[in-house]
Amino acid sequence: MELYIGGRAQGKLRYVLQVRKIPKTQIWDDFEIWFKEELKQQKNAEKDTWDFLQKHPDTAVICDEVGNGIVPVDAFERDYRERLGRLLCEIAEKAERVERIICGIGQRIK
Amino acid sequence: MTLVLGGSGSGKSAYAEQLLDGYSRKYYIATMQVFDAESEKRVAHHRQLRAGKGFVTVEQPRSIAQAARAFAASSLIQEREKRGMPSGAMDGMKCAGAEKGTAVLLECMSNLVANEMFGSEQHGDTDHGIDSGIAGTVSDRILKEIAELSGKVDHFVIVSNNVFEDGIDYEESTRNYIRELGHVNAGLAAMADTVVEVVVGIPVFIKQ
Repeated sequence: MELYIGGRAQGKLRYVLQVRKIPKTQIWDDFEIWFKEELKQQKNAEKDTWDFLQKHPDTAVICDEVGNGIVPVDAFERDYRERLGRLLCEIAEKAERVERIICGIGQRIK
Repeated sequence: MTLVLGGSGSGKSAYAEQLLDGYSRKYYIATMQVFDAESEKRVAHHRQLRAGKGFVTVEQPRSIAQAARAFAASSLIQEREKRGMPSGAMDGMKCAGAEKGTAVLLECMSNLVANEMFGSEQHGDTDHGIDSGIAGTVSDRILKEIAELSGKVDHFVIVSNNVFEDGIDYEESTRNYIRELGHVNAGLAAMADTVVEVVVGIPVFIKQ
């Protein structure tokens, strides 16, 4: 399992495909969009994530950094950022490799 | 001094807390005000993280220099105890590595700045120049108070928030808040020996 985190439009997918040469079938891109949709449907997003990652341990998760802003007034948006952040900490803990992508450049932090 | 930055759910609190491991006196300055069920839940979560780690909690939602009263009092007691001790006993303690002094964790700066800027003046600290209209007043005062506090402790860990990267155009009061917090963070970073940003629970060093 690997995690690629970074701001929007920082070239994360391109980096994972071209620099890391990870096949498309192993990439879970736009993780934050899927996660938010799960929350909207009131599903157990954390459990669903781990169910998938346990079945597919060679997955490279790509996710937008969404926590670096003013805490939203909207309760759902607040909850989304907090829960996604905490889940990403857990994924990072279990991942063999974590990189932060800025301006298309990967900074390996684990 | 160590400045720990991070976003929501970044794991910055857990990282900051373990920086105080090994200190004989650990204080936690809580700046968050409980005003609803959600903030209550948040405080409970942080309490749970700190449980059993020997922190003394000091609630100080504003006028941060006043937090010194709490730990200055107990340091004085400690100092007297030390003087009353035979020197051999002190050496023994040092050898055992039990004595690393006073460490303070302030969590978090983003709440403190918000409380100072927007909080009600219920705490008798109306003498501060919040409404003076001078740009930078709140951040300048906070930085002055932090500098004062840091001289009284052996290790000062300050948690602050990275709220600067969401690209949203806010109304004026929030823009002012972002500017003040940015000014505080830059000032703290200048004072600090170490500045670290926590990303998905992993420390990324900015100043070391």
